[in-house]
Amino acid sequence: MSETLLSTIDLAVSAGGTRLLEGITLKLHAGEMLALTGPSGCGKTSLLRAIAGLDDPDAGEVRFREQPPEHTGWPAFRRHVTFVHQRPVMLNATVEENLRRPFRYRHVAREFDRDRAVALLKDFGLGEEHLAQEARTLSIGQQQRVSVVRALLIEPAVLLLDEPTSALDEDARSAVENLLRREGHRNGRAALLVTHDREQARRLCDRSLDLREHLPEAGPRMRGGDDG
Amino acid sequence: MAEAQTVGAIELSAIDLAIAGGLVLVAGVVSVLLRLGLEKRLLLAAVRTVVQLLMIGYVLKWVFDIDTLWAILPVVLLMILAAGHAAVHRSSRTFPGVLLRAVGTLAMSGFITTVIVTGVIVGAQPWYEPQYLIPLLGMVLGNGLTGISLSLDTLLEQLVERRDEVELHLALGATRWEAARDALADAVRRGMIPTINSMMVVGIVALPGMMTGQILAGADPLEAVKYQVVVMFMIAGATSTGCIIIVLLAYRRLFTPRHQLDSAAIRARGKK
Repeated sequence: MSETLLSTIDLAVSAGGTRLLEGITLKLHAGEMLALTGPSGCGKTSLLRAIAGLDDPDAGEVRFREQPPEHTGWPAFRRHVTFVHQRPVMLNATVEENLRRPFRYRHVAREFDRDRAVALLKDFGLGEEHLAQEARTLSIGQQQRVSVVRALLIEPAVLLLDEPTSALDEDARSAVENLLRREGHRNGRAALLVTHDREQARRLCDRSLDLREHLPEAGPRMRGGDDG
Repeated sequence: MAEAQTVGAIELSAIDLAIAGGLVLVAGVVSVLLRLGLEKRLLLAAVRTVVQLLMIGYVLKWVFDIDTLWAILPVVLLMILAAGHAAVHRSSRTFPGVLLRAVGTLAMSGFITTVIVTGVIVGAQPWYEPQYLIPLLGMVLGNGLTGISLSLDTLLEQLVERRDEVELHLALGATRWEAARDALADAVRRGMIPTINSMMVVGIVALPGMMTGQILAGADPLEAVKYQVVVMFMIAGATSTGCIIIVLLAYRRLFTPRHQLDSAAIRARGKK
């Protein structure tokens, strides 16, 4: 059995005081892609944010390589277990600056590899000429691809992907899926993919976890907003 | 109609004040003739000017007669509390504990700077001599509260409107300091700009009130200038340290030790 990169133990999450999901215990192994599926509003995004430590869970623990995040500190943990937003977030700067920025963080501790950035962009259907373009002038589909490339460049051990293709059209979705299929497993990397699209889960992932089995007894009160 | 001259200043009589009142009357007549409908407001404003200034005159007379530190401290504390309250109520957003932090900031930056000026630069004996301490502290707090409210407003606005960007940095492995740094720098800069701007134009666009007051009271203009320079530097020092302190205190409250942005703590202030 390959190394366990990420695990959660009895994780429970809520939003706005309402318990959404509970009893989430999972193990994610090196080179594996696991889908977390469930209907809109069931708490998928909240779960992924809690795993990334962007919000606190109600209960339970997260471990990376069998260690709690406090062992290395949260920034170092997130640098290895990297969350990619559902809606791409671009800094108000060029694409190159967007890709370079994480390399200024103390815990990333790597040099920006421009050749690798160009190669990844090309794989995603974006040319070198896009590097000088203002990132916010790109289409949403292109922004999402830049967003995934930005995460891949820091070489995380685990990618936390929050519905990465939900805002994309058919062509852009297929480009992102192809890249995830290839890069998601590269060098033993693992990925946790949140999606409401069970077909996508089947296409991309080795196995999937249906979050409907982890709704609290009464079921969550469905909320508006952007929780996926 | 001015009479005796005391300590360089020409003393004003009741008749002098009545003549000045006549100038306001001119404004009232203009309002009636042009049907501006401002007469009542003008009358109320004139009466309030007299009453409010008379009250503060009596308060200052009473305060200036105080000669013990323990008696002056409550006055100082009241001024700091009022300034802190005004600072946080000018901001359109708030978070739990903001008032305590604003008061602490003004106490640290304003009071300490003022004490340095009265005790070391002016050399008042004792350093808490109310005639020096109270007006100088008032000027520092007045400017300081504008600075810290601008800084707070900017910081909270940035953290709400750029929450996704801040969380993007955190998600990619930035520390809370790395994620917040742009917003913190913007907030400090915004709070300091009015003070820097006023230093740029002082003496060109308008004479500062304190300097004008000293000259009218018979002081040598160059002596008045020296005081004004000290006051401007004191305000600049207190305002910039105030902006930095409030921004750092807000940062420590709004970013958790787990390097998360506690955006739920930021609330819009209810309209009154």
